[in-house]
Amino acid sequence: MPTQTDADLDVLESRTIYILREAFSCVSPIAMLWSIGKDSTALLWMVRKAFLGEIPFPMVLLDTGMEFPEVYAFRDRLVREWQLPIINEVCPPESTVDQTLPPAARHAARKTAGLRGLLAREGYRGIILGIRRDEQAIRAKERIFSPRNADGSWDPRTQPPELWDFFPYEVPDGAHVRIHPLLHWTELDIWRYTRREGIPYVPLYLAKDGMRFRSLGESNITIPIPSTADTLDAIVLELEKTREPERAGRTMDSESEDAFERLRTTGYM
Amino acid sequence: MVGDVDAGKSTILGRMLVDLGQVTPAKLEELQNSSTKRGVPIEYSFLLDAFQLERDQAITLDISRIWLRMPDRDYVFVDAPGHRELIRNLLTGASEVDAAIMVVAVDEGITLQTRRQALFLQWFGFKELLVVVNKLDLADEPETAFVARRAEIRSFLEQLGITPIEIIPLAARDGDNIAVATQRWSWWKGPTLLESLAQLHPYTAPAGGPLRFVVQDVYRRDGNRLIAGLVEAGTLRKGERVVFWPLQTDAVVSAIHRWPQEVDQAKAGDAVAIALDERIFVDRGAVASYPGDGPALGHAVQATVVWLGGDPVMPGETLRLRIGTREMPVTLQRIDEVIDPDTLAGKPGDVVAKSDVAVITLAARELIAADDELETTSIGRFVLLHDTNVVAGGRVRSVIGRPRSEGATDIVAQTSSVQPNERFWRNGHRGGVFWLTGLPSAGKSTLAMTAQRMLFDRGRHVYVLDGDTLRTSLNLDLGFSEEDRSENVRRTAAVAAVLADGGFVVICALISPFADDRTKARASYPGGFHEVYVSCDLQTAEGRDVKGHYKRARAGEIARFTGISSPYEAPQNPDLAVDTTRQSIPESAATLIEYIEENTKP
Repeated sequence: MPTQTDADLDVLESRTIYILREAFSCVSPIAMLWSIGKDSTALLWMVRKAFLGEIPFPMVLLDTGMEFPEVYAFRDRLVREWQLPIINEVCPPESTVDQTLPPAARHAARKTAGLRGLLAREGYRGIILGIRRDEQAIRAKERIFSPRNADGSWDPRTQPPELWDFFPYEVPDGAHVRIHPLLHWTELDIWRYTRREGIPYVPLYLAKDGMRFRSLGESNITIPIPSTADTLDAIVLELEKTREPERAGRTMDSESEDAFERLRTTGYM
Repeated sequence: MVGDVDAGKSTILGRMLVDLGQVTPAKLEELQNSSTKRGVPIEYSFLLDAFQLERDQAITLDISRIWLRMPDRDYVFVDAPGHRELIRNLLTGASEVDAAIMVVAVDEGITLQTRRQALFLQWFGFKELLVVVNKLDLADEPETAFVARRAEIRSFLEQLGITPIEIIPLAARDGDNIAVATQRWSWWKGPTLLESLAQLHPYTAPAGGPLRFVVQDVYRRDGNRLIAGLVEAGTLRKGERVVFWPLQTDAVVSAIHRWPQEVDQAKAGDAVAIALDERIFVDRGAVASYPGDGPALGHAVQATVVWLGGDPVMPGETLRLRIGTREMPVTLQRIDEVIDPDTLAGKPGDVVAKSDVAVITLAARELIAADDELETTSIGRFVLLHDTNVVAGGRVRSVIGRPRSEGATDIVAQTSSVQPNERFWRNGHRGGVFWLTGLPSAGKSTLAMTAQRMLFDRGRHVYVLDGDTLRTSLNLDLGFSEEDRSENVRRTAAVAAVLADGGFVVICALISPFADDRTKARASYPGGFHEVYVSCDLQTAEGRDVKGHYKRARAGEIARFTGISSPYEAPQNPDLAVDTTRQSIPESAATLIEYIEENTKP
């Protein structure tokens, strides 16, 4: 098995820090969505690095009330230990969202509605998110700075060019730009980085009784995968071998062929 | 992955994933279902073309990336759309990769779109290119068809100065030569596409050579100012003196932070924050180098651009330049040449339109620090914006207007003197004196004011010296005797010369009736004085009588009134003549402005 040195992680980290600093310099007011999963927690770690120990914008949890108890406990611990500026945004109930969506996708629609409410109330012009291109074929088409329309929708056919590191950060009043500083990372990179840096994570990712969560969504629509990986080393080894997609346990992605595209174009993360 | 529409880019990548066993049986089944639904045999491109619209129309709209984990290293493939309308997406993809794979369909060969894409690649400075000739399964004589295409591709790329690493025959749908060597073309002894990837080299930021540290922001922490930015080239070392461009302030690096650690040095590619030993002015947009090793400095740059904007542009257009982390207004000064994708030759042009590659000159009021020798720093390239839209990407060819400085220690030696060429590069035009002479009420002042407004709106530095106005201040002590009239002209010409020397377009509106005085005025600003005869027959002028002076002169109330009781010597050989009897003011103004623009070009 080839072993990569950690030098590649330094390259990935510097790029993310560069993007975070560009976002903070050029877009205001700005906030970051912290889903409390492995990706956005690694991103939060890099926010602390980018701004030399400070967290200069709020961390937002779009809360459906349906997260695992372990997730809420982890949130409370980090808020306390790292003194996080946090906004716990309670999402509108399921009865308020598009009922033509498949059932599992309605949670995503609730989050989209929660985000829309937050944007309208706080007037953010920039939202930082920890999505990655290797997660999902629609996300693979994302830009680093991705302007959204005033209603939060995404029109992938009219994405502006993003040449080198000249990011399009200007949006009309009422619209906002999504900033994706983790697009160039893979799932494996995130775990290797989490291991190297000693970043805390929700224990549900580790195998218990032959099962573990590879991706964390709402508790009623996320299923664990068979796994014996009960340490970070074991997770890294497992990911080096697997062909199974990361979000296989996220039922909402596969309810219909266009499920994820519909979610994303209407404003989902 | 580049190539014309339908050359098979997405199919090649999709097939590669399948052949390498990186697609699960469940995913393959999903793929089969999506394909059946659209009435096509298994469509490998759907692995990348995830949008419904892309699948329905069987085209790639936006770039997609896929990861490939190989024993020697990992690869990220960027699949770019082939459509001409989607070049902004192609270029976005091209700007993030180290090497290119060009796909040519054997039945199509080098199309116009392929030529354009190759031109873009050359413009991006690609050093490494693989070429695949796809769809060989469609050819009756695969070997003959391939050999012919290979020769065509070689000679075409040669014109661009590109030598492909390999040219490989493929049949993507059947999988020949992608990950698995072909079984049916025994004449092919070369590598598969996968094997040839090993010959590509990833870009690594140059750790040796000049230092470039691009400033993103300044943070205050515990009473200290920390300058955050990216080392783009060279190595930044604690304890060394650095110079910040373009202002050329300098200080010693007293600490390098990679929170939570402090380090002694940072190499190219590292995002860090630094502290300085003394407080100097530094802000976002500055670039640090070591003394004597800085970027070029000037008020204008010549650059190669790819135009993405929908509207064609012409010289005079005001745009926003983003170079490094700086942003400033610039004027499109000149279109040096536009590259013809058919012949690949540069030819003069008046406009740059969408998907053109062109060489242009941009002028700015601010000093631009740019790299014209280091290829990969963010001050060696730029984007242009119109309003908030990116309309072009560019690479700096040369910086004009000031010789390369030797560094901060030489600031004194450079002296504070500003060279005339620096002024016109900053302003975007030369100074000059445009002397409007003519009878009272011929339209001199109106013409001067109209021209001034229009030139000002075009970004010109322009000022009007009006005879009547000056008589209320500078020339308050002068009357209308011959001597006083001469002195009036002399003083006005002297002021005009000073302003023109300072870079202004000066429009003088004075009757200045005597040829002799005007000859002297010309001598006060040699080479840049233009006599403009605003002609108008006496009857018309008298009919206008804007100020009622003719009437009073006829009544004898004003003595020595030009045209009535004092002579007017019309110019025999004016540099320009406008006739306000026959032309309207807008027409005359257009003639005058055209003349002024022509004679104040850099």
